[in-house]
Amino acid sequence: MRDALRWVCEAAKGAGAAFADARAVDSTHTNLRRQDGKTDRLRQGTSLGVGIRVLLEGAWGFASTNETSRDDLKRCLEAAVDMAKASQARVEEPGVVAALDAHADEYAGPCEVDPRSVAVERKMEVVNALEAAALAQTQERTANSFAWYGDEVTREIVCNTQGADIDQTVTRTRLGARVTAVEGEVRQNGVEHESSLGGFEVIERVEPTKLGGKAGGIAVMLLGAARAPSGKFPVILHPSIVGVFIHEALGHNAEADHIISGDSILEGKFGTPVASELVTVVDDATIPLSWGSYQYDSEGTPGQRRMLIENGVLKGYMHSLETAAKLGLEPNGSGRADGYASRPIVRMSNTIVLPGASTLEDLAQGIDLGVLLEGGEWGYVMTAKGQYTCHAGRGRMIRNGQIAEPLRDVSVAGMILDTLANVDGVTEAFEMLTMGGMCGKSGQSMPTNGGGPYLRVKELIVGGQERV
Amino acid sequence: MAAGAEFAQVSASRGRSFSVSLEKGAIETSQQRESSGVSVRAYHRGGVGSTSVNVLDWGRIEAAAHAAVALAKQSDPDPDFVALPGPQPLPEVEGLFDERIAGLAASQVIGWALAATDEALAAAPEAIVSGGASFGVGDSAMASSTGVQVSTPYSGLSCYIRAVVRRGDSVGTWFEHAYGRVMEDFRPEGIGKVAAEGALEYLDARDIPSGDYPLVLGPQAADSVYYAIAAQANAEDVQRRRSYLIGKRGQRIAPETLTITDDPLIPRGRSSSRCDSDGVPRRPLTIVEDGVLLTYLHNAYTANKAGEPNTGHAAGDGIGPTNVNVRLGSRPAKELIAEIDDGIYLASGGPSPDGTTGDFSSTVDFGFKIERGEIAYPIRNAALGGSFLEFLQGLDAISSDYREEPGARMPTMRFTSVRLAGSG
Repeated sequence: MRDALRWVCEAAKGAGAAFADARAVDSTHTNLRRQDGKTDRLRQGTSLGVGIRVLLEGAWGFASTNETSRDDLKRCLEAAVDMAKASQARVEEPGVVAALDAHADEYAGPCEVDPRSVAVERKMEVVNALEAAALAQTQERTANSFAWYGDEVTREIVCNTQGADIDQTVTRTRLGARVTAVEGEVRQNGVEHESSLGGFEVIERVEPTKLGGKAGGIAVMLLGAARAPSGKFPVILHPSIVGVFIHEALGHNAEADHIISGDSILEGKFGTPVASELVTVVDDATIPLSWGSYQYDSEGTPGQRRMLIENGVLKGYMHSLETAAKLGLEPNGSGRADGYASRPIVRMSNTIVLPGASTLEDLAQGIDLGVLLEGGEWGYVMTAKGQYTCHAGRGRMIRNGQIAEPLRDVSVAGMILDTLANVDGVTEAFEMLTMGGMCGKSGQSMPTNGGGPYLRVKELIVGGQERV
Repeated sequence: MAAGAEFAQVSASRGRSFSVSLEKGAIETSQQRESSGVSVRAYHRGGVGSTSVNVLDWGRIEAAAHAAVALAKQSDPDPDFVALPGPQPLPEVEGLFDERIAGLAASQVIGWALAATDEALAAAPEAIVSGGASFGVGDSAMASSTGVQVSTPYSGLSCYIRAVVRRGDSVGTWFEHAYGRVMEDFRPEGIGKVAAEGALEYLDARDIPSGDYPLVLGPQAADSVYYAIAAQANAEDVQRRRSYLIGKRGQRIAPETLTITDDPLIPRGRSSSRCDSDGVPRRPLTIVEDGVLLTYLHNAYTANKAGEPNTGHAAGDGIGPTNVNVRLGSRPAKELIAEIDDGIYLASGGPSPDGTTGDFSSTVDFGFKIERGEIAYPIRNAALGGSFLEFLQGLDAISSDYREEPGARMPTMRFTSVRLAGSG
């Protein structure tokens, strides 16, 4: 296949392309699920295809196919060239690509036990243990239980006209449990995940029974939790939500394609303060085993650690080959595609807030009435407007400087720059997310991760149900 | 079946699509995709195994079939599964496929996208305009060991524009789209102007105090409320005891004003089809009538488990609604707003509850303050929270006028009160 992709790049040059790349993606996956004490959905699948991107006279074209013979690839290239010609109908800023020292490499990511070599029965034992541990917590209060295991092995080959020639294989494994507990009319969910680069050895590190037990314990705990308050409060964000918060609130705005398209509130703020001095944020594709890490992006650029905010000052963006060229900066390995049928766009990897020096107790001190939020589940951002939303699976009231009664799930919302400026406490304690996040952008879904310390924000809108 | 399955179902699809994306009023890229796929579902003593391949190669498909049977044999027996549905006469639905869309040239689709962009820039020259246009055509087919054989061509054509306007620190943004399964329903004219003029309306947003406010949901916000009810009247969620609608069938869940229908047979409807993914004929269904929840949505498995008629809502491995609509009221939206002295108007993103707890907690992304009967100014930094079933009791009017999209008439809805977390 590498030969065929190299041939495509040469043929693209022959067709007049200033730049072209060809990517082949071959993946296999297994997803096993158990529900209410029985196997539920056992699935396996394979996918193979090629995507070709062409820059012709300043205009971009892309075409993809799941037929991979030489003739099919020739036809796909012709379609990509036709697409580039169609794009020439209106080009305001001609497409450009940064020159990069081309890498040639064969790389296999961390994987001690190839999941394709492990029998489905063995994988199901993990799922059974997960569910049993969850049910041991909820017992007669169980309404519904889920447990799951999934693995995916993806080989991505990238060749381009600058000489990039990368053949990398990435293995990801995830497992988790979600249990609904019921008492009277109250139903509450507990969810726990573990997601990592790596093969079947991941389950040894995770201890599925602990994971399942934690999910069950959360569901039971939430049965006795109060509804969250409604209003503006001092808020402490637990590390398990800081990863979601910083991804949504800051990360998307620091994607250079949003800067170039005028869709980011960080446009024009490079080198200026955009957050409290306590805030330092990096996006780091090199964190060992983290769900969002990778050796090379989908353009063949090595993944790396990128400083986004240093002590409150905006220091950098995430770049693809094209955004780096447009802004006159170095590519930093953020051009990712979610499969052969998608073109690479600027994406995050593992976005984290670096730890500070405080303790959780320090942060709680001085809050008379506030909220601690935990268990980040999802979020979204409107980059141009600078408004974000994060959903927490649970929380705690803070009363007179003490962590108090538990709260049910709730969303918080805010204006990004206000929130970042209002961070007035950062702990030394730090955690990475384990949820196996899939970030959506432009119709593509990519594995990303996040993490951070506890953050205290002076005030934040809490969209709860109860008047205080 | 030869490998030992007791039942089997095979779905296949083949299609192609074209899309153009726009950035800052110019073309970012054009893309063509060709795709195909086959998925196999095998059953053994009620247990199910599923496999998929994206290459139409007989060897791979045969391997996928054997793998599906092997997975099914490793599943626990499920006595609630009895059989896959057999063949039944299917209704005809007009306008699921338009050959003219299949014959479109890229230049035509690009022309629509650029015209919509120019419209937006004419309405607001300082706007940053993005968006795109696309079409997709193809065939999907399904066959089962019980004799079902269905093949359906599909087509769709869409155009989308988003405008952002910045004035100092103030940012306004809005969007509009056009969609059609057939050419006649695709009307991109005007969407650029709507997006740009909408963006201007969101400039100079203000913080407002926390409190309980009357709430008006515009067509694109109201849609999320009644669609949520239809989607969450899901028989599997009820049977699995993870739904806030458990025990609510036959009960009043909203005032008499609310009647919700699901009609998959609407000609040219966005979610119209002849049969569900089990091959069961589609038919119209009233989900809520005069505020009373009449039924849950079933697929073949849940209907058998409950011993109830199958409503024909299988969607992949799960259950999903189709074209969801509400009964219209008697007065226009303007009159409903005029009666509010101090309230909130949401243009998009209405309250949508967690399917298990029935609580909602959502940000006001596109909201306005209503003062003295008129939409006064945009608001920011606010969130809504509450119990969805309690919130529904406050539904006091649905408008007579509506936004129309293929398969949907989307009116405005008014509620007596919602809890808003604001800045005071």
